Amino acid sequence: MQSMEFPLVLFTVLSQAAVGLALMGAVRVSSGPQGRSPRREWIMVAGLIGLGLLASLFHLGHPTGAPRALVHLSTAWLSREVLLAGTFAVLAVLAVLVSKTEVNPVLAWAGSLVGLGLILSAGMTYAPPAFPAVNNALPATFFLLSAVTLGAGFGSWFASESRQPLMGGIFGAGLLVALVLYLVVPCVWLSGGAVMRMTGQTWLGSGFYWVHVAVLAACLLVFRLTKGIPVWLPVLLLLGELAGRAGFFADTIHTAANLGGLY
Amino acid sequence: MKKQYAFLVDSELCIGCFTCAMACRNYYHPPEGVIWRQVYPLDEEIYPHRERAFYSLACNHCENPTCLNVCPVEAYTKREEDGVVVHHQEKCIGCGNCIRSCPYGAPKYNPVEKRAEKCSFCHERLDAGLKPACIQSCPTGALSMVDLAELEPGNQVQYPAGFPKMEDVNPSTRFILPKLPRLVRR
Ligand code: SF4
Ligand code: SF4
Repeated sequence: MQSMEFPLVLFTVLSQAAVGLALMGAVRVSSGPQGRSPRREWIMVAGLIGLGLLASLFHLGHPTGAPRALVHLSTAWLSREVLLAGTFAVLAVLAVLVSKTEVNPVLAWAGSLVGLGLILSAGMTYAPPAFPAVNNALPATFFLLSAVTLGAGFGSWFASESRQPLMGGIFGAGLLVALVLYLVVPCVWLSGGAVMRMTGQTWLGSGFYWVHVAVLAACLLVFRLTKGIPVWLPVLLLLGELAGRAGFFADTIHTAANLGGLY
Repeated sequence: MKKQYAFLVDSELCIGCFTCAMACRNYYHPPEGVIWRQVYPLDEEIYPHRERAFYSLACNHCENPTCLNVCPVEAYTKREEDGVVVHHQEKCIGCGNCIRSCPYGAPKYNPVEKRAEKCSFCHERLDAGLKPACIQSCPTGALSMVDLAELEPGNQVQYPAGFPKMEDVNPSTRFILPKLPRLVRR
């Protein structure tokens, strides 16, 4: 088992919740009447990304050097991730300052696009060749699903009555896709090479994995039964995503773990 | 091809004595648990004999180093003159991205410095005309240094069983496989 990387768990999940919230705000702006309190929503977006960035500093051996992480944009996805996270945070703060009763559609869509770039770059950062099981599009897909489900869940706190079904529809569909994906992927890994198979076995034997899957299933069940998103449900989902992300970092096996063995 | 220094690991000669790993430790004094060179026994699935075979491994000074590509602060450089991949610790901010990303597990986290570090092919010794400490110490000559630009084709292999095949990264280390022991039945 690798390290759980708690600061990275917080950074990735909170930043994805922030991106999802901005994205759902933009979707609502484009689809009719505005939400209830755009300013409060952007304060939440800015708070989430701010907390995430703060948490990420605890991951560094030398946090004061963090600004230098921008220098290798040419090849390092981590540099791109830092740039996009910073830009997203600036846009979120700007949106807090300018939004009063109406959401600014330009800022909403600019934030969403930068946010999607952030998810893609995070997906690339955590898909290195050292982890064959996730050296592909899976991290970006996992992260996008976290953003969409958390964004729709928390977005329901701010959506007008008429937009609740839209948030609910996205929430339910996102949860279903995530649940199926998380159940299928480790089983597919079992038929891969040695390190991929070890990853599948470790995920399937991991408490983090099963807590995450159980939370996804429970959220889907509650959504189906209540035909809506109860206020507390996104918080439960957030806890489930944190557990799932801890598993992503702790239970995905590194190629070096099998040196001297068959690959 | 440009000059590219590489470790040549002769598994037939290696007796698994760990002298190379100890020489590296003695030379650089990394903190406990921080291991730049390690000697790995081959799994019985690969070498199914009572006699054991080993790979002595450190950084592979790759042609397209993942560590260099992923480092956000450009703490890695690849030397023009010999292809050695050097980590400049003073630039490192300890984000661990190279440690996660190198498929050979070569960079390690130094908890005292709170930065990454790895084998640098003893480039300061190379510049002084000396061999790396590990190679100099090997009592059987199992570990040696070659220039891939001048290496004659022979029985060296790049991706033996027990070593991850990463063609994009193109590690420079070459191996000579251990011979199978002769079985005498009575
Ligand atoms: S083995 Fe790893 S640390 Fe060494 S050059 Fe290759 S990618 Fe970099
Ligand atoms: S730990 Fe240091 S050398 Fe490695 S990627 Fe981070 S900043 Fe670069």
